[in-house]
Amino acid sequence: MTYVATFYTHAAAMLTHRTMTKNGIAARMMPVPRELSSSCGTCVRYEAPDPCYAMLDRDVEQVAEAAETGYVIRRTYQ
Amino acid sequence: MEKKQSSFWKENWLVIVTGLVIGAAAVALSALGNPANMGFCIACFERDIAGALKFHQAGVVQYFRPEIVGIVLGAMCMAMVKKEWRAQGGSSPITRFLIGMLVMIGALVFLGCPLRMVIRIGGGDLNAVVGLVGFIVGIVIGTFPLKNGFTLNRAYKQNKAEGLIFPILLAVLFILSLVTTLFALSTEGPGSMRAPWIAALLIALVVGALCQRSRLCMAGGIRDIVLFKDFHLILGFAAVIVAVLIGNLILGKFKLGFADQPVAHSDAVFNFLGMVLVGWGSVLLGGCPLRQLVLAGEGNSDSAITVLGFLAGAAVSHNFGLASSAKGIGAGPVLWVLIAGFVFLALISVEGKIAQDA
Repeated sequence: MTYVATFYTHAAAMLTHRTMTKNGIAARMMPVPRELSSSCGTCVRYEAPDPCYAMLDRDVEQVAEAAETGYVIRRTYQ
Repeated sequence: MEKKQSSFWKENWLVIVTGLVIGAAAVALSALGNPANMGFCIACFERDIAGALKFHQAGVVQYFRPEIVGIVLGAMCMAMVKKEWRAQGGSSPITRFLIGMLVMIGALVFLGCPLRMVIRIGGGDLNAVVGLVGFIVGIVIGTFPLKNGFTLNRAYKQNKAEGLIFPILLAVLFILSLVTTLFALSTEGPGSMRAPWIAALLIALVVGALCQRSRLCMAGGIRDIVLFKDFHLILGFAAVIVAVLIGNLILGKFKLGFADQPVAHSDAVFNFLGMVLVGWGSVLLGGCPLRQLVLAGEGNSDSAITVLGFLAGAAVSHNFGLASSAKGIGAGPVLWVLIAGFVFLALISVEGKIAQDA
């Protein structure tokens, strides 16, 4: 599965990217897709069998699954 | 190959259209009365508003510019229609205010925000190319702290009022500027050169709405190339130049060179240093002055605070002789203030990292 996690800060995206890479998950940082947010932050796009919630930094905003037809929101954080 | 091409347009058409519309709007607003190569300039127009509100007394730059009001309200309406309007904030407001001040001080040394820099390039003003080099250097410097974990910390959901106060205050003050003589109004100089307010307001509403959809940002384009090798936002940046260039060529206003460019000076060192400050500050803030207006319209009170910082920076610039003019740089301690600005940004860049680790 391909997932996209968005964050409240760039640093949170970076820390998450670091954790995932350390744990052998194929992840990369990129600008947040417009469909997911009107803000212009950094997201982490990763390939994993599940959304890896435990590896996300505490400043995570949203986790979405990238499907053929678009993004499906899996979890939203306040 | 064909599929690749169609996905390119699908992903990028909106930001390109936004850039083209802004470029065309800038040329049109200059033709309608705004100063040359200043159809749109977020820094100059906020400086004019600071003058209208009598935060500074520079008689030639006082006018409550409808363009600023239009961008904020256009972004606000579009965000509300698309259900993206959200009151949020609380991400290091005082730091943002001060960085906002410095960005404005740097912009007024150069004589323009990043958007006007691009518009000046499209008009053939080579001083703006020097500014662009400085802007790029500033952005590259700013990406180092980002890569090191720099953060102004996250924003939180806030009461609706917190997101509405700034756009509504701006609208009310604008109406007052139309129906009363409370505010200062230039009778000569750039502040006296203005497109009809209704045209300026309507065009800016469209620009604000488009910017909300496309997230166009003059600093974001270069930042995303440095950080991710992502070329999406830079296309909007390039589209502005293309539209302005074509518009100026059609109207016969294109003039290539360094000397005698409209509302510009040829002090290369200060054009460069001013825009280094703007680029660096913009990256730490997460967006150029145009983008801050759009985010303020979307309910982001951190951006609203930043815009108030811009106004304060404009006042300081003119009250202490830091702002340049067509004659050259200001008579005040320009170099010292720029150095102080760099020291401040350097300290913030390092301190932000410590905050993250704690």
